[in-house]
Amino acid sequence: MALRQIRIMGDEKLEKVCRPLKQVTDRDRELIQDMLDTMYDANGVGLAAPQVGVLKRIVVIDIGEGPIVMVNPEILETSGSQTGQEGCLSLPGQAGIVTRPNYVKVRALDENGEPYEFEGTELLARAVCHECDHLDGIMYVRYVEGELMDVSGEEAEEIEE
Amino acid sequence: MTKPVNIREIALGILMEITEEEAYSHIVLREVLEKYQYLEKRDRAFISRVVEGTLEHMIQLDYIIEQFSNVPVYNMKPLIRNLLRMSVYQLKYMDSVPDSAVCNEAVKLAQRRGFYNLKGFVNGVLRNTARRLSQVKYPDENLDPLHYLSVRYSFPIWMLDKWMQQFGYETTEKICRDSHMEKGTVVRCDLQKASKEEIIEELKKDGTTVREHPYLDYALVLSDYNYIGALSAFKKGWITVQDISSMLVAEVAAPNWGDYCIDVCAAPGGKSLHIAEKLMGSGYVEARDVSERKVALMQENIERTEAINIRAALWDATVRDPESVKKADIVLADVPCSGLGVIGKKQDIKYKMSEKRQQDIIRLQRRILSVVQEYVRPNGVLIYSTCTIGADENQYNLKWFLENYPFRLERIDPYICDALKGKTTAGGYIQLLPGVHESDGFFIARLRRLKED
Repeated sequence: MALRQIRIMGDEKLEKVCRPLKQVTDRDRELIQDMLDTMYDANGVGLAAPQVGVLKRIVVIDIGEGPIVMVNPEILETSGSQTGQEGCLSLPGQAGIVTRPNYVKVRALDENGEPYEFEGTELLARAVCHECDHLDGIMYVRYVEGELMDVSGEEAEEIEE
Repeated sequence: MTKPVNIREIALGILMEITEEEAYSHIVLREVLEKYQYLEKRDRAFISRVVEGTLEHMIQLDYIIEQFSNVPVYNMKPLIRNLLRMSVYQLKYMDSVPDSAVCNEAVKLAQRRGFYNLKGFVNGVLRNTARRLSQVKYPDENLDPLHYLSVRYSFPIWMLDKWMQQFGYETTEKICRDSHMEKGTVVRCDLQKASKEEIIEELKKDGTTVREHPYLDYALVLSDYNYIGALSAFKKGWITVQDISSMLVAEVAAPNWGDYCIDVCAAPGGKSLHIAEKLMGSGYVEARDVSERKVALMQENIERTEAINIRAALWDATVRDPESVKKADIVLADVPCSGLGVIGKKQDIKYKMSEKRQQDIIRLQRRILSVVQEYVRPNGVLIYSTCTIGADENQYNLKWFLENYPFRLERIDPYICDALKGKTTAGGYIQLLPGVHESDGFFIARLRRLKED
């Protein structure tokens, strides 16, 4: 297991548009595994490659129902809406209210370069939107309604544990 | 993206800490709510309601779950057990939450916490419960009164068994029922700072409903307020939150002008401050406790009330203090106890206490008594009190104490109102019972040291 350093908001890598992969190499698979390890270690539910400083269109997500790997993801369809709290591993200790679609349909390649499609609702839909935004250099703070909230008390506790 | 906050998951986490890791409900709940201050008021209220309600009715909830599960509750994974408990609580006691939401959220939560394979089990138990809750058969009151009380009011059998022997069925049921009642907050008025009429008027101005407590002239019962700290009468230091039973301790201690008093287990200091107040600034109260945190807490309370004849001190009551021997006019031994008199306020006490643990507590109580009795000067007074009910920590300790030390019980009738007078008060002690008296469960005895050893 290899942990990579998570870039914090302000880092220019987080503001760049990432490039699509022509094929998924062994090196990319190693990156994907590191991203999953890093995400689990940080107690996150999703992580995009630019968050570990790599400008490739790769996203990993696990909302507690098993890992999902998406290479070159494309959101094909969205519908409905959900409004709720959202936070980002690149902006620790903060959270804000963001409205997102309640349903998404996505096409992507898996870690072996095979294309697949899937649908997600609620938390999964939110995570897909949040992570895909990272690939275009967008942080969720752009959409926050009202003020960002300080949730750092929570993190301090988790570190203690 | 970070893991989002899920209020049911927070409630479940709190329940796990309390039921599986021995944490105290009021402490965990307070800490967690502090941590999640940014959550909406509605969400915070949901968390407290689910946690407190689940604890309050836990034995009953387990009984219901076992009607619909082929696995007994004690054999379930702890997380699943607590998830089912809090879900059945919502089904039975929270009409505002739709049954389908309870089931769906529970299934999702089980899955998210790594119990994918138990999704079906959780779903099955909860859907069946939702559908057939009204048909559940409970133990029969006449055929099996012990079991009936246990399931109806969620009290452990061993505790009920003891109470039934000491107080009889009717009183035991009253005690149980009372622990589920909503009650107002009892406050003590400092009549040196303002008159009772002024205080009542000030409280009513803030929209509080005020009732006079029948046992003591300076005690009021408050309801319909949001946060006590926001009431102007509180900010002005006119009122202190304290149960009537604790106030009676200072009454029964009845300090005389200039008395030196040692409170050996004093935190948070309410009784000590009350005695200091009764001394009208004369004499001196030494409020001791065992940890720095507790002493700091008392110091804070002393400073808020601006009392001058009292100080907080760090001293372990089980350790003999040679300086104090035969020095005190009054020693207050409000000893650590099983707390069965305050279950209505701290629901988890009834599950945490066991006969074994109670034996350890009794040993500690006797150790403290054997040390602190020495501080009482000849002809001085020792007040023994606990916030528990039942003879083991009260009457039996008294009997043991009188057999071993040169003290006698002294009549407490002169210090209490007529409603509380009875056979035992003439003998020197009172056992207050919740549901019978308008008070927490509490025990107070007044002992006087014989003139010469």
